[in-house]
Amino acid sequence: MASSGARSGRNGSGRFLPPDPRVETPYRFTPQLALRIGILGAVALLAFGVLFFRLWALQVLSGPQYLRAALDNQLRSVRIEAPRGQILDDKGRPLVTNTPGTAIELHPADLPKTWAAEQAELQRLSKIVHVPVLQMLRGIAERKGDPVTPVVVREDIKRIAPVNYLYEHEQEFPGVSITNTYLRSYPDGDLAAQLLGYVNEISPQQLKVLKRKGYTAGDKLGQSGVEGTYDFYLRGHDGLAQLRVDSLGRPRSPLVTKRQPVQGESVKLTIDADLQRAAENAIRYGISLAYQNHKWQADGGSIVALDPRTGAIRAMASYPTYNPAVYSGHVTMKKLAAQGLTGTTAKAKNYPALDRATSGVYPAGSTFKPVTALAALETGVLASPSTILPCTGSYTVQSQFAGGKPQVFHNVDPFIDEPMTLPTALGVSCDTWFYQLGYDFYTQPPSAGHPLQAWAAKFGFGRKTGVDVGPESSGLLPTPEWRKRTFTAKTDPSNWRIDREWKPGDSIQLAIGQKDLLVTPLQMARFYALLANNGRLVRPYLVEEAQEGGGNPHSPPRIVKTFSPMAPQSVGLDPTYLAAVQDGLWQATHSTNGTATGVFGNFPIPIAGKTGTAQKVPSSDQYDQSWWCGYGPYGETQPPQLVVCALIENGGFGAEAAAPAALKVFQQFFKQRLAPSTTTTTTTTTGTTR
Amino acid sequence: MIEAVGSRTRGLRPRRAEAVGAASALRRLDWFLVGAVVALLAYGLWAIRGITAHDITGNADYYLLRQGVYAAVGCLGAVALVFVDPDVYRRHTRGIFVGTVSIMLLVLLVGTVSRASKRWLDIGFFRFQPSEFGKLLFVLFLAGFLADRARRLGETRTVVEAIALACIPILLVFVQPDIGTAMVYAAALGAVLFVAGVRWTHLAALGAGLLIVILLVLWLLPAAGVHVLKGYQAQRLTGFTHPDSDPAGATYNVAQARNAVGAGGVRGRGVAGATQTKLNFLPEHATDFAFASLAEQRGFVGVSVLLLLYLLVVWRGLKVVAIARDAFSAIVAGGIVFAFLFQVFVNVGMNIGVAPVTGIPLPFVSVGGSALIANLLAIGVLLSIRIRGAARPKAYR
Repeated sequence: MASSGARSGRNGSGRFLPPDPRVETPYRFTPQLALRIGILGAVALLAFGVLFFRLWALQVLSGPQYLRAALDNQLRSVRIEAPRGQILDDKGRPLVTNTPGTAIELHPADLPKTWAAEQAELQRLSKIVHVPVLQMLRGIAERKGDPVTPVVVREDIKRIAPVNYLYEHEQEFPGVSITNTYLRSYPDGDLAAQLLGYVNEISPQQLKVLKRKGYTAGDKLGQSGVEGTYDFYLRGHDGLAQLRVDSLGRPRSPLVTKRQPVQGESVKLTIDADLQRAAENAIRYGISLAYQNHKWQADGGSIVALDPRTGAIRAMASYPTYNPAVYSGHVTMKKLAAQGLTGTTAKAKNYPALDRATSGVYPAGSTFKPVTALAALETGVLASPSTILPCTGSYTVQSQFAGGKPQVFHNVDPFIDEPMTLPTALGVSCDTWFYQLGYDFYTQPPSAGHPLQAWAAKFGFGRKTGVDVGPESSGLLPTPEWRKRTFTAKTDPSNWRIDREWKPGDSIQLAIGQKDLLVTPLQMARFYALLANNGRLVRPYLVEEAQEGGGNPHSPPRIVKTFSPMAPQSVGLDPTYLAAVQDGLWQATHSTNGTATGVFGNFPIPIAGKTGTAQKVPSSDQYDQSWWCGYGPYGETQPPQLVVCALIENGGFGAEAAAPAALKVFQQFFKQRLAPSTTTTTTTTTGTTR
Repeated sequence: MIEAVGSRTRGLRPRRAEAVGAASALRRLDWFLVGAVVALLAYGLWAIRGITAHDITGNADYYLLRQGVYAAVGCLGAVALVFVDPDVYRRHTRGIFVGTVSIMLLVLLVGTVSRASKRWLDIGFFRFQPSEFGKLLFVLFLAGFLADRARRLGETRTVVEAIALACIPILLVFVQPDIGTAMVYAAALGAVLFVAGVRWTHLAALGAGLLIVILLVLWLLPAAGVHVLKGYQAQRLTGFTHPDSDPAGATYNVAQARNAVGAGGVRGRGVAGATQTKLNFLPEHATDFAFASLAEQRGFVGVSVLLLLYLLVVWRGLKVVAIARDAFSAIVAGGIVFAFLFQVFVNVGMNIGVAPVTGIPLPFVSVGGSALIANLLAIGVLLSIRIRGAARPKAYR
């Protein structure tokens, strides 16, 4: 309705007079205005059309879908935690079980929606339960895509004061709930701590890998030992329950279980709890003996006891140890540090988390001599078991280089000078007798390969035993190739040209299990099992079977899976050679000059075995590792039932610390036989109750 | 044939305000519009009764009664305004402008802070939101400004001046911060310019300019590091396209509203069964998201009735623009109708996911005294224009 401006009167505008600026033109409904109003009307129609269309789509066409979304809003699904499977010893006695505890949990979906209010609530909660806010936030962030699993803030076995406070002030903490949970409990305290392992909440890195296997954030995961390796069997299946809540997460209906939780399967070990206890005490006993001999550096040790017929591990002890209950419930760095389980405190406590039986590597010392003997016999370096060689106080090797100094290698007993056969040499553990063999191995032509190392490898040295619960060290079996690889200009700038050469001393020392050779107690036990069962290499194993968790307490549990052991493999030893070595072991424990006769000579059960006193390399500190490995009963119609390998770190002579420790284990094992004969005619061992 | 018959002459003699008798007023009232508004009021009250039934335990009628009182006050005001000649507003254009700006400034200075924004003035027993009344006042003074320059509307200068004038209250509202209401003001400005007869080219330029500003504010400037809008504001404006992108955070409202609307189905879930509303999953269910709440409770049928009533009001309102007595009245009517349409569209749109989330209430339904009374007063002005207008649009000859 703008002013029309000056137009001539002819064009139908009807103007007669020119427009007077003092006079306003009357308002008329012009076509332009009509157009504009029409446009407005069209816009209005379009707008409403859009709205109607959208409403039609939302309500009429997709109504049910959104109805379901609205219903889901109020449905809160809650995970019902499944109790973890137990870990049992070979007689079914529980070594690790569950105990009820209380957990304080956060449901992120029900926390206050605004950032400020959420922070405020978390701060208050943190003050009450003594858990840092950052930890809670991290947990919430991890649960981003999983509304079903709550964030566990803190769990404890005992009902702590904060729990009561939270119960009373439930309204002030929306999204916080208190539930019952299961926590690991260890009826035997620190028995077999490293072997059993511990359980902790799954970390983000672990989750990334294990997500495909069905793990979710918040799951408990076994971190080491049996708990870790057999977590799949132990974890069970969580159940699901549902309830209706309002927008603050407050329950508006009772909890309805949709899926029952399934308890994890119990894992039965080959370990005998009594023998394990005896082994752990034996190490402590060995250390105390070392102290009596002024070996004040003795601070650790390991004992492995296995069945040479099958490879079943009856006891596997490592000292120092820790109390695994420290991981159960509210874990604090303080508690862990007190046990020596953190990076900074581990060294001071001599690494209690380390399982020395599988991962501790030591020089083998004289316990390696049977390997040398068998290799020498098999390759002809030693003509026969009755070959006589001198045992002198020292052994001299001329230098390879012209004008060089000769090297002298000493015997433990510097005054001896006696010719002897192999069994005697083993019995008195003459070093120089074996030095000769070592030098003979050194002078073997290259075409023979490295026979000593080859046979040692056959006996399982330098590689993992394959035990079913890791981790495991493969030790070190030195070869000339290894030398060349290890000592290069980069790694040994001052002496590499000399060090990279395999010298006579290397073979000589290897013959008595010294210098670069490194073995684990489990590898030694496996080798002595081979000696015990007439030349068959077993694969040690810890877990016998997995049983159904829960179940009827009155009927035997259903076996879900049996882990059959690998059949022992013959390594192709000549039985006469083996018999000579076995005789040597018998000499060591029962002949007049046997190194361990003082320990085993009067033991009613015939035991055969070898002492070892290994020097650590580099031997700036001349602490000897005290070894003893052997088996029994020896020489009976039934095959030997138990191999024991004991090591006392820095314990001195093998006969002084390790051998008596091993004896303690045998005493426990043969308890029934040793008991005064008031027993009945039955010889089967009944399941003893704790 | 003096063309000046019945027209207002300036400087020649002062004009007497036409007195309108009650009887003639009744005769010329648009009963359709009145009926639609009354029906809308009644429907809104009924809807609120259902929506807020569970808000206060033990008192299901609390909000109903309050709204009822506001509605009564508003109706009285509307009736009073019917008898006020629109010319009164035109004569006091400047006064209205000054009054509007000063009230806005007052809000910014001494307003009550609620949820990080200053929109309310607390006067003891009543908290009122001046920006709601400001919508009507804004249209009034802008219409007066443009009507006084009726013959110079073709000039750029007039348009620029008008926009500059309008920007002051818009900015004052924007910094409260209240983007939604600022948008309504901007829409009213656009409508006023449109109905006043600003040239198409100018309108196109303005439209382009608006588009550029939106692009700048939402995308280009933030990319360069300058943030005109706060983070959550920008997210609310653009988040409506992806309601599931952050269901627990920024797009929570949109997703819940959509669920509520959809869950209503054809017939609705009833008051007791509307869990989104009842169990508080739908935020602001009595104000911003009242429509979604209504949709959940009464279904497609229920909201269709509401939308049809709105459409009726808009239609009759456009008719008023056509038969207005003079330019000023027409512009006022156009501004009022379009602002009304805009509010309805944006609020309903935000509830169903076709428009960004802003704090615009749903006219006649959302709980809130200021908005209800302001809308009724606007209807009163509309009716006042109606009865002083012609019986039917007079063609220009």
